[in-house]
Amino acid sequence: MSAGRSVGLTAALLACGGALQAQGQPAAAAPPRDTTPPGAYFGVTEYRLARQKLELDTQNSGFTVYIIGDMEGLAAVVRNATEMRPVDRGGTPQHERFRQELTDEVNAVIAGARAAGATQFIVNEGHGGTLFRNILPEQLDPEAILIRGYPKPIVMSTGLNPKVDAMMIVGAHANAGSPGVISHSFAFDSFTVNGRQLNEAGIAAFIGGEMGIPMILAAGDDALTAETREMLGPLETVTVKTVFSGSAAAGLSPARVHGQLRAAAARAVRRARAGQLKPLVLDRPYHVRFCLRRGYVRDDWVRTTVGRLPGVADGGTPGCFVFTTASAEEVGNLLNEIEWTVLKP
Amino acid sequence: MRIAVFVGMALFTAPSLAGPALRAQGQPQTDAQRATAQARQQLFRSKHVPHEAGFRVFIVPDMEGMGSAVDIHEVIAGNEGERYKTLTSPDYWDRFRLLLTKEVNATIAGARLAGARSFVVNEGHGGNMFANVLPWDLDTAAILVRGFPKPLVMITGLDSTFGTLMFTGAHATAGSPGVMAHNFAFDSFTVNGKALNEVGINALMAGEMGVSVSLVSGDDVLIAETKEMIGSEFVPVITKRAVGRMAAITYSPARVRRMLQAGAAEAVRRERQGRIRPFTMARPYRVEFTLRASYPDSVVTAVAGLSEFKLEKLGDRSFRLVTDSAREMGYLLDAIEQAVLR
Repeated sequence: MSAGRSVGLTAALLACGGALQAQGQPAAAAPPRDTTPPGAYFGVTEYRLARQKLELDTQNSGFTVYIIGDMEGLAAVVRNATEMRPVDRGGTPQHERFRQELTDEVNAVIAGARAAGATQFIVNEGHGGTLFRNILPEQLDPEAILIRGYPKPIVMSTGLNPKVDAMMIVGAHANAGSPGVISHSFAFDSFTVNGRQLNEAGIAAFIGGEMGIPMILAAGDDALTAETREMLGPLETVTVKTVFSGSAAAGLSPARVHGQLRAAAARAVRRARAGQLKPLVLDRPYHVRFCLRRGYVRDDWVRTTVGRLPGVADGGTPGCFVFTTASAEEVGNLLNEIEWTVLKP
Repeated sequence: MRIAVFVGMALFTAPSLAGPALRAQGQPQTDAQRATAQARQQLFRSKHVPHEAGFRVFIVPDMEGMGSAVDIHEVIAGNEGERYKTLTSPDYWDRFRLLLTKEVNATIAGARLAGARSFVVNEGHGGNMFANVLPWDLDTAAILVRGFPKPLVMITGLDSTFGTLMFTGAHATAGSPGVMAHNFAFDSFTVNGKALNEVGINALMAGEMGVSVSLVSGDDVLIAETKEMIGSEFVPVITKRAVGRMAAITYSPARVRRMLQAGAAEAVRRERQGRIRPFTMARPYRVEFTLRASYPDSVVTAVAGLSEFKLEKLGDRSFRLVTDSAREMGYLLDAIEQAVLR
């Protein structure tokens, strides 16, 4: 997920163009709020529907891999303002080359997974730079099914269903507060389940984990790969760059990264088929605790609205909340509603 | 004069590049936030580029000294801050990015011919916030350090495992008659009374790690002054002869690449034969510098307030640091950069 996508989403979906705000910096004089409840746009029902629809296209036998393509953790990426956003959202033409890189990295893991016997590939756009339309469809592996566009229910796990055998994430970035390139996590400064810190890859693994789907490969900078192994165990990782600041890194050549991704994806599928990579399963009920990003905490309306979401209770610290449930899908839906809330003007 | 000022400013006046999450949080305010920021700085300073076997070459490509480059429009992306918006054109910077990348590739190819096996390229030019080399067109063996800020600026990632250090596209120092001449954030910079240009400053830090400079390319003014500063054991590659601050008699890109390839091969041979010594100076280093006259007073105040370093104020915009560590001088360069940004 791109932390910077809220601006464009807000403008595009609610026709409020012009009143562009900096990410995480709510305008001082807030315009009237759109108080439509999230469920009226998309909620539990629509997530279920998306899942059912993807299930129709998911094969019953063979090995299906679900690939999330984010962008901050791609080879060579260091800067949000120029590389992660297109021109019409305040970025530069440099963004276009990174769309190609994203497509190339996704194709590399597909090729590797196929070599190890995977037979179906579902690709879900995980980066909001162009409203989840970053992959170049005509250059993506022609056998892949692509999920693109926004809004889509549970942005990074759309349509995930039990027929999927394994998940992978490429271009992933480190968690909010981690020493990684453009590190962040959805709308949060922290997100834990049963006391375990989860980054965006970890949250997707948690949602998939309840359906028995393991996260088997993560690629990004050294901060991302280290923290994801700590969260999820010994999954395959590809470290594409070594971080020197939130916007500087020593990166391997994209060509070398593609080679490593192919090899790692093949290893990951072999290990998964041999039963060596386990889904993330946590004890129920799930005790979720999350703290909104500091910028959102200062926004009274966002703070109050999130606090009133069904099942959400005060977490003791301003901007921090707790949520207890026996269903990971409900956690996903909560995430969805929070995202929807913070994206409003 | 103004041109030189603008070019140098490119290194030091760009907007904050912290990630969106960090930007939303603003500057650290509480003790806990300051402690976290400090811990992170220590972490980044302690990091290494991935290790590789074989003879290692560290290459610092800059742009002002490239063959053919004479004008600021050719080395600025236009996204470095307000004052740079009009100083670029896609016909220029984009085109020179490819020429830059090819100069680096030629240098790598030459070094490889002489037996080098590991290559790290660290963006030395502030255009596009230290992201000018085209990653997809760079020799695929190379590790590329790009982006900003980075702890040792132009030699971030260099350590004693490297066999040699090379500078391509380097420019002459502030006040000299070279093409787009300037020197970091300074009108003058001396160590133990000796004036150093960007190559010299980095050579001193590298020398402390036992790494010597084997190749320097740029205009004739840069080559002459660098020999004076660090000695003439390195292989010089003159890409052009300066005839004005934004005019030069230049060799063709193809010829410059040929010279760089031959020069880099010769440079690695000299290194492996032990014919080049690291550049060192007597300790403690007495580092004295004058911030550019063109900077606002707020920059001077911010530099004066850098608590990590024991800076002595010598004049209006002049300071002295006495240290036994050239690395500390490098961290100071990085800190001054941050001060200029604020």
